[in-house]
Amino acid sequence: MKRSPIVAVGTVVGLASVLSFHTSPVKISLSAATSSNTSLPTTTRATSSSTTTPPTTTTPPSTTTTATSATTHQSTSSTASTSSTPSTTTTTTTPPTTTTTAATTGIRTVTGPLVNYYYGELSVKVTANGKKITAVTIASINDGGNPRSVQIDQYAIPYLEPEALSAQSYKIQSVSGASYTSAGFQMSLQYALKKLGI
Amino acid sequence: MSVVESTTRHFIEVMGTVVTIDLFNCRDRDGAQRSLERARELLHEVDRVFSTYKDSSPLSRLRRGDISLGETPPQVADVLDLCQRAKSLSAGWFDPWALPGGVDPTGYVKGWAAQRALDEFRGLDVSGAIVNAAGDIASFGGPTGTTTFRTGIVRPDDPQRLAAVIELRHCLATSGESQRGAHLFNPFTREFASAVASASVAGPDLGVCDAMATALSVGGHDVMVLIDVMDGYDAMTIDAQGGMRATPGFPIAND
Repeated sequence: MKRSPIVAVGTVVGLASVLSFHTSPVKISLSAATSSNTSLPTTTRATSSSTTTPPTTTTPPSTTTTATSATTHQSTSSTASTSSTPSTTTTTTTPPTTTTTAATTGIRTVTGPLVNYYYGELSVKVTANGKKITAVTIASINDGGNPRSVQIDQYAIPYLEPEALSAQSYKIQSVSGASYTSAGFQMSLQYALKKLGI
Repeated sequence: MSVVESTTRHFIEVMGTVVTIDLFNCRDRDGAQRSLERARELLHEVDRVFSTYKDSSPLSRLRRGDISLGETPPQVADVLDLCQRAKSLSAGWFDPWALPGGVDPTGYVKGWAAQRALDEFRGLDVSGAIVNAAGDIASFGGPTGTTTFRTGIVRPDDPQRLAAVIELRHCLATSGESQRGAHLFNPFTREFASAVASASVAGPDLGVCDAMATALSVGGHDVMVLIDVMDGYDAMTIDAQGGMRATPGFPIAND
């Protein structure tokens, strides 16, 4: 058997390691900036996403001002796409001290554009209070009944939310997790965030 | 004194997922654009060659036996060679040849590709860069004045929340059943099953991290001891009850 020597070597290494090694239980307490961030909102489909905090000022859904890439099917026209790369989209997060043109006070809700993802189209809705994101939900999803998109709904999108939400409370730069990311979610999210001036 | 940090995020839609690239304090926009273009080309090329979803990809044709390894682009042989090394490092727990349906190096390719994409940004005037391929992260540098990125690891039972925050130097891959259903294959029992709910591996190379995280998921403690003796690599697991175990060097943030 080809595998035998490898296993044998591994076993010897493993045995030697076991003798001098024991893993240590880890105790971690995560301190979030505010308690509300430790329990993040659940992803909801379009039918229930309206249950988020009612906005006092609602910015209309992004329709014509966001940059879009050539391969991203969007029902609206693009006015800001200057990239020559077909599927690379670039957005810049301005530092908090920089003044942005978008209104950044009060509770506001913005819906990102409908973008293509692997199994169909989706758009996200972001609610913010000032510069703080309070909810990220799916505004609409059209997957053509593809059974694999069930995975997207149940797993990938909930995974993507914590990066948007916990980045501000834990002061982290990235998130790692087993996932099958839905392409498009972040793109729509990023446009919504830009509209919100975050 | 407050330092004004600037972060630029870029998206590359490829391999059925979205790869995000974050550049920290970049002072060379044109250079960044050129690097992005190269990274984009590289990732799309990897997708063309290694996709198991596209019937016409060289890997798919190799798996079906339509062509021999010698007829595939050279990077296929390179990756399979790296997979063989990862198989040895993991004592057989990571085994792309054991999977039903023919050799499948997917568990190595995503991390390997992200690592190579990151290399395109090394010469740039930045304080740091992150390439995040759906949760598998390659990085160098950090925000101003640091050499690490604070990185969250999601809870397997509740991906809305974080299980831990680490000070990431270089790479981190996380594997687990939590978000894709049963897809982890135990090459010894020949069943789809995992030993832990979530397995994370940190180290200098994301391809190796990716492979070892897959191995750790199915092998559990047996693989943990192997990773502990690997130079520069550390690991953490979360079991179904939420219990966490880590090698002594795993870089958990103190706050």
